[in-house]
Amino acid sequence: MNMRCRWPPVLAGILIGISMILAFVTAGRGIGVSGMLTRLVATVQHWIFPELTEKSAYFSHYFAHGAHPLDNYLTWLVGGMVLGAFLGALSCRDLRLQVQRGPRISAGGRLVYALIGGAITGFAARMARGCTSGQGLVGAAELSVGSWTFLLCIFIGGFATAWFVRKQWI
Amino acid sequence: MDLIAPLARTGIISQVVNHWLAVPIGVIFGFGLYHAGFTDSRKIARAFYLKDVGVPVVMFSAIVTGMLGLWLLSLAGFIDTSKMYYLPTYLAPMAVGGLLFGVGMAIGGFCPGTAAAAMSVGRIDGLVFVVGFLGGSILFGDLFPVWGDFYKSDYRGVFRLDQLFGIGLGATIFLLVVAAVAGSLLMRWGQHLFWSVPRDATVEPEQVLKYEAPLVALALLVGFALVFVPTEDFFTEGGEPAYYIVPRGEPGTVTAPRRFQQRLRGAPAAAGVPPAAAGNEGDEGC
Repeated sequence: MNMRCRWPPVLAGILIGISMILAFVTAGRGIGVSGMLTRLVATVQHWIFPELTEKSAYFSHYFAHGAHPLDNYLTWLVGGMVLGAFLGALSCRDLRLQVQRGPRISAGGRLVYALIGGAITGFAARMARGCTSGQGLVGAAELSVGSWTFLLCIFIGGFATAWFVRKQWI
Repeated sequence: MDLIAPLARTGIISQVVNHWLAVPIGVIFGFGLYHAGFTDSRKIARAFYLKDVGVPVVMFSAIVTGMLGLWLLSLAGFIDTSKMYYLPTYLAPMAVGGLLFGVGMAIGGFCPGTAAAAMSVGRIDGLVFVVGFLGGSILFGDLFPVWGDFYKSDYRGVFRLDQLFGIGLGATIFLLVVAAVAGSLLMRWGQHLFWSVPRDATVEPEQVLKYEAPLVALALLVGFALVFVPTEDFFTEGGEPAYYIVPRGEPGTVTAPRRFQQRLRGAPAAAGVPPAAAGNEGDEGC
């Protein structure tokens, strides 16, 4: 990895910050990812159980007045984000199939951890009304008390858990 | 400057154009995530061992950039603050959600955005994390009645740090810039204290300093200048008050922001009760 592909953290952060500012200026709202993923899973569940999903206490508002959950700003944004990461890796010749893991864990073990961590994070993001980008970064820039609390609690939760899963990473 | 932003809400661009513009904005976001090294779960997880503090530094940098950009544009009169959507605070659910989110990140090594980005560059653990994330979301939604009351509790409206501290908005921005710089330096110091070899050994510290130091100095300087700006100058005059200000020391007497009431139901909500469709406006954030 050289400087061209792995930027100094402050510079990479500024680019992410610029994408936030552009969203503020054009859409009047911030960037976000988890909302789109929830809309995606609501759509999939709607294919299988249309009645149940439309009457669900949480998902019903996605379908209010015949709306489609994925007909939303975030869908386009996340599409662009996935494309942007792909283009970054492409320009650095870094596209490859790989299970990223620490030196002391098997690939299968790592994937089990990824699944469990993903499920906990998915639940937590809905409880907090957003994820690191939509609630954390955007809300922090807006000086929201809830968002700063969320960010602080992420670090508390992460540091508290780190010791128990250290074999996976270091 | 004229009040022309947010473009989609002042009628300068249509919703369709707005959605199309989200694609290049997302590309910039994803490109930044990749070049920050955020498609690597090991890098993200190592932040929790202070072994690679690049992740929090990127986050601080993004927050400071977005914060200075948003409030400077508001101050310049470019953004009509009465038309902005600001994230509301539900304090207890956000604290609990944050704790769980941190646990999930330490175990899974990603957050949703980074996992989706990692998936797109072929990282299988990113794909599996996204699958888990979808499972967690559907679990939350389908069993919503179990935790729905807690989810809607502790509503504080749009509640900003400067209101919490009781100081000016500009002073709050300056304090946060200082805290971000101090936090970054402290964590880098911790990294060198606990781990002898810096992780990004290929990136020379001097090189990093050459690019970063002037930008950090600029942010501090701009932040310091904002200390002398009165809070009301950041907001659009004459517009409907975009901000709901919580009376200090009286958390029990909270009322919902008028904006929400009008937008959602057209009828005023009872004191202390969040807007009727509580699922909706939180979702707009992320």
